[in-house]
Amino acid sequence: MKKINKEKLPALWERLADEAALYLPVEEDGVVNFAPWKEGAAVNLDVINTMVPPKHLVFPQSENYLRFHVEGSKLEIEPLDVDGPYVVFGARPCDVAGIAIIDKLFLDEPCDTLYKERRDNGTIISLGCNEPEETCFCTSFDLEPGFSPDADISTWDLGEYLLWEPRNEKGQALTAKLDDLLEAADSGAAQAVEKLRQDAASREAAVVREHGWEVQGVKEALEDKFDSEIWDEIYRRCLGCGVCTYLCPTCHCFDVQDYSKGQEGLRFRCWDSCMFGDFTLMAHGENPRPTQKERVRQRFMHKLLYYPSNFEVYACVGCGRCVRKCPVSIDITQVIKAAGGVE
Amino acid sequence: MKQLNEVIKEVAAQSLSRGEVDLVIGWKKGDLWWQSYPAFVEGDEGVADLIWDPFCVPNLSRYLLEELDDKSKVAIFVKGCDALGFNQLLQDKRVEREKVYLYGIPCDGLVDPRKLEAAGHKWLSEVRRDGDELVLVSKEGEQRVKARDFMYDKCLTCRYPNPVTYDQMLGEAVEAQPQERFAGVEELEKISDDERFEYWARQFSRCIRCFACRNVCPACSCRECIFDIPEPRWLGKAKELSEDQFYHIIRAYHVAGRCVDCGECTRVCPVDLPLQELNRKFIKDINELYGEYDAGVDPETEAPLVTYNTNDPAAFTES
Repeated sequence: MKKINKEKLPALWERLADEAALYLPVEEDGVVNFAPWKEGAAVNLDVINTMVPPKHLVFPQSENYLRFHVEGSKLEIEPLDVDGPYVVFGARPCDVAGIAIIDKLFLDEPCDTLYKERRDNGTIISLGCNEPEETCFCTSFDLEPGFSPDADISTWDLGEYLLWEPRNEKGQALTAKLDDLLEAADSGAAQAVEKLRQDAASREAAVVREHGWEVQGVKEALEDKFDSEIWDEIYRRCLGCGVCTYLCPTCHCFDVQDYSKGQEGLRFRCWDSCMFGDFTLMAHGENPRPTQKERVRQRFMHKLLYYPSNFEVYACVGCGRCVRKCPVSIDITQVIKAAGGVE
Repeated sequence: MKQLNEVIKEVAAQSLSRGEVDLVIGWKKGDLWWQSYPAFVEGDEGVADLIWDPFCVPNLSRYLLEELDDKSKVAIFVKGCDALGFNQLLQDKRVEREKVYLYGIPCDGLVDPRKLEAAGHKWLSEVRRDGDELVLVSKEGEQRVKARDFMYDKCLTCRYPNPVTYDQMLGEAVEAQPQERFAGVEELEKISDDERFEYWARQFSRCIRCFACRNVCPACSCRECIFDIPEPRWLGKAKELSEDQFYHIIRAYHVAGRCVDCGECTRVCPVDLPLQELNRKFIKDINELYGEYDAGVDPETEAPLVTYNTNDPAAFTES
């Protein structure tokens, strides 16, 4: 394990930015989001949830991927390059877990090569959470606030120092380039990390228990709930906006669209939301999810039943963004409770 | 006098049991102290869940657009700002007045949980209003703070805390104590065009195109929205600044003269776009060009942007 004095972080970021495009939590106009590092950027490592999760760095809200051109009866297609290497610094364990969940779908066969190329180009440096927020419930999903098993490098904030541990070859390769900035951690470092992890997890688990947000058995409980009346109560106040889906670290639905003019154009894919009425609108005019009820049901069934059935993992990481930001407090923990999994 | 929190349960139970309405839309409480959300009560069983507390911020009148389809009469609770939104729906001919029963709630301002959190007031179990103070309840006990320090910005500038329309008023009228609502607009008017363009570009670039601002807006009640039409697709789905700008500027124009300044767009925006300032710029300009007009105050008054007078100023066509 290595460590770095937090005063030296700007030097570290400068070095990382030389290696690759560096994204980290930056505060602008009072809002903290992952943004490209530049000298003097107001980096904020205290915020637990950036307003938007760093999902967009591996799965951009929209990305152009080919250019087309028609000449006579001939169609020319030119694939566009994916952005080069990048580093994500300070991603919280829930948000990294979200990326690992999306990996399961996109990297599974048939592999989404566009996603894979961008994903392979990135190195993710996580930052463990010392103190969970009121809306944190990652422990419900067997995740740890203080540790991310899916990051390439794990870091922990111990006050004066940031502890640094590469977790795989990609992480080791990057760490090797930072040798002059990192120093060897003391012998007590591993214990300090252990304590930080345990404290954070037990604090959060106590809150989860108190609220009844445990998720055990919810998948099984939902298996016969497609026609259940629980959806009647939950959907009715839904405004049909995309806050929950677009702030979700695991939502990954997309649409494919063109910008075209005359005989040429760009093809791009962009996020789409199952909360929108036109998400399942068919070209012939029918809509298999005609009302908000079917849409809300789909979103929660996908997270809590369909995804775990396909990939053996719930498509929720308990980051709490939807809990906080839904304008009418439609809250996945209410669905978990209504489904009635926990005995 | 009975607490409003009790009164709302009584009137709802009465309207339902007498068969005067098919549905009452109010608010109920979630697990967390700041969660007060719309509740739909059709029989006795939901009545006890209805609450009134400093977080009952969602406007309930928009639900009438759907709920009235298959019901003969629906009752809703309206605060001052909600009543303005309701009137706008009436003026836009989207709701029939006789199919709605309005319980008016004089509102002395609602609490922004983010302001409490920013001041370190977290992990609460309850927040109560007591006169000019808030009582913050947590495991450590109770603490009193000044209510006005933690209200939504939109409530600090509220000029209509008492509903301008209602069938039955619950509670005593409260006094409006509005701060100047155009202060933010005036700040933006002072900077250069280039700086202002850069300011809004920076704001709009944060937009995630979730449409929460549109979907919550009482002036956005079109049956089909221009931004949803798949063919031709006026608003491209790509996350491009030009599309973000197109969306927000066109929406602001569409609600110009009909925006009731309820501030819900700003409240629901998940990425903190100061949308109310944009809409207030339009309100301010309309006031200056055509005389003071408050959308939603009186649905019978003709709105300046849909009437024509030969002496209307044309200053905006001159550069």
